[in-house]
Order: sequence, then C-alpha cells, then structure tokens
Amino acid sequence: MSSDPEKMMSKADKMTKLTLTRWSADWRGATELYEQAANGFRAANKYEKAKVALEKASQGQVMQSSPWDAAKHMESAAALAQKLSIWDEVADFYKKASELYVECGRAQPASDALGKAARALEDVKPEVAIQLYTDACEILEEDGRDQMAFDLYRACASVYIKLEKFADAATFFLRLGVAADKCDATNSQCKAYLSAIIVYLYGHDLKQAEKCYNDCSQIDAFLKSDQNRTASRLLTAYNEGDIEEIKKVACSSTVSNLDHVIIKLARKLPTGDVTAVQMNAGDDLDEDDLT
Amino acid sequence: MTVIDILTRVDSICKKYDKYDVDKQREANVSGDDAFARLYGAFETQIETALEKAELVTKEKNRASAVAMNAEIRRTKARLSEEVPKLQRLALKRVKGLTTEEIAARNDLVLALPARIEAIPDGTAGGPKSTSAWAPSTASRPDIKFDSDGRSFDDDYFQESNESSQFRQEFEMRRIKQDQGLDMISEGLDALKNMASDMNEELDRQVPLMDEIDSKVDRATSDLKNTNVRLKDTVNQLRSSRNFCIDIVLLCIVLGIAAYLYNVLK
Repeated sequence: MSSDPEKMMSKADKMTKLTLTRWSADWRGATELYEQAANGFRAANKYEKAKVALEKASQGQVMQSSPWDAAKHMESAAALAQKLSIWDEVADFYKKASELYVECGRAQPASDALGKAARALEDVKPEVAIQLYTDACEILEEDGRDQMAFDLYRACASVYIKLEKFADAATFFLRLGVAADKCDATNSQCKAYLSAIIVYLYGHDLKQAEKCYNDCSQIDAFLKSDQNRTASRLLTAYNEGDIEEIKKVACSSTVSNLDHVIIKLARKLPTGDVTAVQMNAGDDLDEDDLT
Repeated sequence: MTVIDILTRVDSICKKYDKYDVDKQREANVSGDDAFARLYGAFETQIETALEKAELVTKEKNRASAVAMNAEIRRTKARLSEEVPKLQRLALKRVKGLTTEEIAARNDLVLALPARIEAIPDGTAGGPKSTSAWAPSTASRPDIKFDSDGRSFDDDYFQESNESSQFRQEFEMRRIKQDQGLDMISEGLDALKNMASDMNEELDRQVPLMDEIDSKVDRATSDLKNTNVRLKDTVNQLRSSRNFCIDIVLLCIVLGIAAYLYNVLK
C-alpha cells in the first residue's frame, strides 16, 4: 500500500465504484484504505480531506454492517468539522453518529454524541444546541438512565438562561426534578426546584414563582429539605419587599450549592421593583376563594 | 524539727494511746455510775472533734471536701443541740456523793454548752462563698438580707451598678463571639452536607454502570477461556510427536529418493 493518502483515497474510490470490470464494490478494502488515508491526512494537518476520508470510511462501515465503527468514524469526522468551524456539518455528523449508536442499542454513547454536538454549538447556534440537548435527554430517558440526564438538563437550562428565556429554563429545571424523582435523587431534585423558583424570580415573575413553590411543596422530599426553607424565606422577603433579607438569602450557603449560573442570577436579585410587590399581597386573599 | 512540732506530736500520740492508760481510765471510770458525767464527757469529746474538724476545714483546699466537712460539723452541732436538754435534766438530778455547789456548777456547765456548740465554726458564718467560675466581676456578698430593711426604693436602687453593666457587656460580647463561631461551623457543615449528598448521588449513578461492566467482563473472560482451550488443542495437534516423526520419516524418504536419482543421473 502506498503511503500517500491521496493515492489511497483514489484507490479506495475506485474500489467502490461499480464498473463493467467490477460487479460488486469491495467495501472492506475500501474502508481500510479510507481509514489509513484519514490518518495520513490528519498527520499532515489537512483536516478538510481527513474529514472527507472519515465520512467515506464511516459509510464503508455501514455497508459492512458494523454501525459501531461507523459511528466512531462519524464522531471523529464531526470533531474535525468542529475544528474547522463548519457548524452545520458538526450537527449533522453528530446526529448521524448518534443514530448509529442507537442502532447498536447503546443509548449512552448516543446521547453523549448529541451532548458533545450541543456543547460545540452552544455559543454559535443556541437553538440548535437546545434541540440537541432535548433529544439527548429523551434518548436517555427512554433507556431508563435518567441520572445521566441531569447534566444535560442543567446545561440546557443554562443555555436558555443565556438566551434570557426564563420560563423555558425553569421548565427544564422542573423536568430535571421529575427525572431526579424517578431515581430518588432527592438532593438534586430539591436543588432543581429551588433553581426554578430563583429563575422565575429573576424574570420578575413573582406569581409564577409562588405557584411553582406551591406545586413543589406538594412533594414530600422538597418539603423536608433545606431548599424549601430557603425558598420560603426568599418568597416572604419578596412579599415584604425586604431587600436586605433577599440579599442575605441569596448569599446563604444553600444557594451557593446550586449551579454557578443560578448563583449569578441569585446574586443579582432583586431585579426590578420590589416595593411594587407589596401591593399585590393585599388582594390575593379573596373571601369567597375557598382553596 | 522544732520543739513545737515535737510537743504537738507527743500530744497527739498521747491522746491516741490514752485508752491504754490504765490510770486515766480508772479515773474516768469513777464517774461511770454518774450518768451526767458520762454524757457530759461524751459531749466534750464530740465538741472537741468538731473543733478539730473545723480546723481541718480551714486548711482544706478542695472545695467539695470542705463543704462536706462543714455539713458534717453542722450535723454534729444539731445533734448536740438536741441532746442539751437531756443533759440539763440529768444535771438537776440529785446524785449521791455530790455537793450542792457541784450540782450548781453542773448546771452552769450545761447552760454554757449551747454557746460552745454554736461557736464551732462550720463555714456558714463569714468566709468567702464559692462563686461560679466565670464571673470574676461579681464580688461576694457576705451578708444576705432578706427584707429591704426599710430602704427606700428610690431611683438609685434600680440603677445598674458599675459591675452589673460591665458584666452585661461582657456577656453580650461573649455571646456574639459564640454566635459568630457557630455561624462558621454551620457554613462548613452545609458545604459538607452538600458534598456528601452529591457524592451519594454520583455513587448511585455509577452502581448500574458497574453492574454492566461486571457482566460484560464476565462474558469476555469466558470467551477468552474458550478460545484459549481451543487454541491449546489446535497447537497440540499440530505439534504432536507422532506427526513430527511421520514428517521426519517422509523427509528422509524424499532425500533418499533425491540422492538415488542424483547418483543414477551422474
């Protein structure tokens, strides 16, 4: 075999093309050549060509019915695309790799692939990143491995926060809570709920925050936790318009144990006008309201 | 040793061995029939022991034992005071062999007894009380009065004295320091608790992974074992000595044939 990657590529291409002399494509040999060519290109820092070689190698593996190797090649191709900053291809390649992993029946690497894609695209294309995160979480949940999904949920929520879509971020935290509930991870669950409440408060949405707090109080695990106390302190401080108290709660150790994005939000509380809240406290209780 | 020491030692030794002194006992026994004298003698000895104990108390450094000894002295005093009336009755009884002056003298002795009993120091009269360890600023108040003695409750009475305000300040300061310390401890504990629960969840997460690894590795080991056994069989077959000999024999035959042909063709 010649050591020149270009020659290998052309040879491999020839092997796969069906002509009069060649009735069936020799995928095995071709795949080997493609792999070697890709290594050669990578050593020579010709990432574009290496990427193409890896794509073709992956396809060869698919033809050989080994989705695992195909998926691995796809991932390498995607990593190269990331280096070259070709974002669409990054997303596509990782998605394809994830599909191949699912074909193998391995959910974890599939969601890992999507997670890597989402992380790569966080800054550049946040919506796509969010979509990828959501898909990754779904794959894990289908497989029953909720615990691995925690990190993904948190990352997704932080992307939302960066986009300033606080309601969506809070929703994601609540989804985290559900996942944590399934695996009896009470600490994560309570932290997730507290984070959701803080996000709502940061978004000036006191009513939502209170509703969220009431919903979460139905859950035993949350009710007995430190986070519950911190949340109630925060909400009472908000209702009374006591800025000092809010600041004190935000600097407490319970809040400092949350995700760093949330800590940043908490330290910036109270946002907006807190004194206006005081007037809302009066007309909440309706005598006819028996709930 | 000084003379005084010798004297005190001799005295205490004599007192100890008094009961072996026959003469003195005979003398004491003279009053054996006399109930009053006997009782009075007993009183005297008890008072003396109480006085000795009181002396010991003043030398005692350990507060607890001092308090215990004082309590004992007080008990003895109370007992003695109870028995004084009995002694008085005995004193007034007429005993033969005694003159009226002696009887009167006995009466006086009995009357003097209560005073002597009271005089035994038992720690309640004067002396510093044991205060609690942490407040050096509270001075001892030797005379506790129960009624206000008609002192007027003027403004001065309820004003904080210097000592009490100092004391209050110190108390507040110490309490604040304690609170600060406790705050720091609680923060540390919070961090520890958080880390511990995170570790707990992480370990929970990894348990099913470990199980998977376990089963996969088991499978891999059994496959390897199988392969090894088969390989061993194959290699043995190839290298069995029988085949080897056959190979050598055939090789010799071929060489023989080649040599024959060579010879023939030469």
